Amino acid sequence: MIAYVIRRLLATIPVMAIVGVFVFLLLHLAPGDPAAIIAGDNATEQNIAAIRTRLGLDRPLIEQFGSWVWAIAHGDLGVSMFSNLPVTTLVLQRAQPTISLTVTTLLVAVTIAITIGVLAAWKAGTLVDRVVMGFAVLGFSVPVFVVGYLLVYVFALQLRWLPVQGYVPIEQGLWPWARNLILPSLALGLAYVALIARITRASMLEVLAEDYIRTAHAKGVATVPVLLRHALKNAAVPIVTVIGIGVALLISGVVITESVFNIPGVGRLVVDAIARRDYPIIQGVMILFAGVYVLVNLCVDIVYTFLDPRIRY
Amino acid sequence: MDTNRRTVLKAGAAAAAMGAPHVARAQTKPARQVRFVPHGDLRVLDPIWTTANMSAYHGAMIYDTLFGVDVNMRPQPQMVQTHTVSDNRLTHTFVLRDGLKWHDGTPVTARDCVASIRRWQAKDGAGQHLFERVTDTPVVDDRTFRIVLKEPYGLVLDALAKTSTPLCFMMKAEIAATDPGTQITKHIGSGPFRFVEGEYRPGSRVVYERNPDYVPRGEPASGIAGGKRVLLDRVVWDIIPDAQTAASALMSGEIEFFEVPPIDILPALGAAPGVKIEVFNQLGNVGYCRLNHLHPPFNNVLARRAAQLAISQEDFLRAAIGNAQYYKTCGSNFTCGSPMGVEDGAEVLMMGAPMAQRQARARQLLKEAGYNNEPIVVLHATDIHIMNQAALVIAQNLRQVGMNVQLAASDWGGVVTRRSNQNPPAQGGWNVFFTWGGGNATSSPINLFGHAATGRKAWFGWPENARHEQLRNEWAAAADVAARRKVAQAMNRNMLEYVHDVKLGQWVAPVAYRSDRIRGLLPVPEVVPFWNVERFA
Repeated sequence: MIAYVIRRLLATIPVMAIVGVFVFLLLHLAPGDPAAIIAGDNATEQNIAAIRTRLGLDRPLIEQFGSWVWAIAHGDLGVSMFSNLPVTTLVLQRAQPTISLTVTTLLVAVTIAITIGVLAAWKAGTLVDRVVMGFAVLGFSVPVFVVGYLLVYVFALQLRWLPVQGYVPIEQGLWPWARNLILPSLALGLAYVALIARITRASMLEVLAEDYIRTAHAKGVATVPVLLRHALKNAAVPIVTVIGIGVALLISGVVITESVFNIPGVGRLVVDAIARRDYPIIQGVMILFAGVYVLVNLCVDIVYTFLDPRIRY
Repeated sequence: MDTNRRTVLKAGAAAAAMGAPHVARAQTKPARQVRFVPHGDLRVLDPIWTTANMSAYHGAMIYDTLFGVDVNMRPQPQMVQTHTVSDNRLTHTFVLRDGLKWHDGTPVTARDCVASIRRWQAKDGAGQHLFERVTDTPVVDDRTFRIVLKEPYGLVLDALAKTSTPLCFMMKAEIAATDPGTQITKHIGSGPFRFVEGEYRPGSRVVYERNPDYVPRGEPASGIAGGKRVLLDRVVWDIIPDAQTAASALMSGEIEFFEVPPIDILPALGAAPGVKIEVFNQLGNVGYCRLNHLHPPFNNVLARRAAQLAISQEDFLRAAIGNAQYYKTCGSNFTCGSPMGVEDGAEVLMMGAPMAQRQARARQLLKEAGYNNEPIVVLHATDIHIMNQAALVIAQNLRQVGMNVQLAASDWGGVVTRRSNQNPPAQGGWNVFFTWGGGNATSSPINLFGHAATGRKAWFGWPENARHEQLRNEWAAAADVAARRKVAQAMNRNMLEYVHDVKLGQWVAPVAYRSDRIRGLLPVPEVVPFWNVERFA
């Protein structure tokens, strides 16, 4: 197992290298000139050219690539062309909101989804099942921003229970932190509730038809232990896979939620950077994202071995 | 230790209790704080290095200017105590006010001001126009310096006082010694607020605190001139990119001031208790459609005149702004409503004539220009509402008179890059793009770089017209507003004749704020001042 983990960790290096080459080439070959954007609308062509030279954007592409790779190899993600701040500082400033939103969303989504997914499988074909599946379809169909605005309208503007927007760091208190994450987590979590609930139901239905479940019932085991200990554990592998995909999707997908609820996370950082062609930020965050994707997949693979002892690497 | 449900719950309760004092602190707002949502993000902290408006807003918070324009757009002394001009109008002597201090406590000196002016002029069109006539800037003593000219120039104070970007902000000499092409790294001004660098989160939050050493002038505040009385302890800029979210935050009382609420949200905001909608910048914005003078068909004045007739201000304003309460058509190149807002020669626009008549004349001009259906590339920024609407309307207007229009869609970043390409459209260049400028900047033939007609050295579109340049110089040398207005009349006629660019009308952007909490907001074009603003509830 340890050898497998080491192999997988080493495999992240070529993956990130390929991502790096693609990101760098795509950015530099796509139209867009950060110097022109920095200079502003009243700038002269000479001003723009001076900024371009200062930022090194007039150097040959291969030279710029070499400098970037050299810096990355030394753990330096570069400096934002606009704010002059190190990319690492900017990412660290934004990491806590994104991690908080991702974790709370997953908690909300997994808790609700597995509960209603198991319920739907247990009550398959009944009204409960239909309601759960209807909810799942709704969760998939309604865009995050619509859910977000509706939640804001009801809970922030009408009932005044929760804030409209913003993020409070956890250091300023657990409740203020949580209070600002409730609506975003619900809005973002709805789609994942739908996704995970459907997979849970399908997987559970398959397992509930197995002989050992019938045997458990015949032995007189109560319904809840049968569902949770016998069925859910054996149905867990596809559910964990979907949760793993969900984590990856969440990291890239939080940007709309971050915008609607004004959460200063990594998603917004990278989208803003793309809009103004702040190459060091885009490149740095993409490399980090690639690393996180690989690690999430690795974690999912390791979790499989705990859920199903037959799986060995 | 065994971990069970009860211990977990206890731990959670303890954690919540530990958080409680923080909750109390977080909910106790500083007594005199205003939370402001500006139109964009503060990305660059050097207001000379970039001409971006947000950097100018930042500059106006922490730096001061030698002069400032008052509400009537007249330059008034700000950091300067006295200003005298020699009899031959060649030497301007400036004496600084006593007691001016930088945020680090050191005194402001004439040497600082000369260094700041020199760095600013390297980046500013009006500054460069002035410095073409400057022979020396001697420092006389700690509080006195001079600007010595080789010929009389009527815009010395206007250039130093202007509110269009980049403003002539004063910085410490060692900071102002930074190469103008390099961003400054220290942010020490002498202005009414201090920048709280430790709380700066690009893309999210900018914080300023009161400068306790700031000594305002005795006159009442007017424009960016007069006494800058600081009545707030903190000003927090919350960068909220989503307009609907910002509007909701204003309605719920989470912010006090929203700079640019979209026009379609205004009715909801106006109906919310405690929220007031007001237009502070009456000169607003001016839309303009730049035609590429370097390449066919718009290197031919007849084709440019055809475009000028074909493109409808009313069509654009209706599509992009929507509410007629906030827009108007205008036949001036210098902002209707400003002192230079003359409309001489505007009859060539046929603005009162039916569209069909204008289009018939445009078709005729196009034929005379020898247009042979070559593609006309219109740059189309799809990510900014007004830009998107403008490109679609312009394309349709041009098609209606027989032009073969191709929309080149990209985000604004793509347009900004492509518009600087002087190659023919087929080789990455372009024929038409739309943008807009502040009404205040547009009102001056010198302050707005877009008014230059110096060919390939001019702003994008690269118009070239010797008479226009001669008139700009005459305008700059004119002794007073009346004389300048007279030159502006000739200039407007000439610009419409050779079609410098196609103006697309004017619109204002109302602000929304909590009138049940703050008062004293000042109407200043192109910056948002927080001096004079008071938090009373």
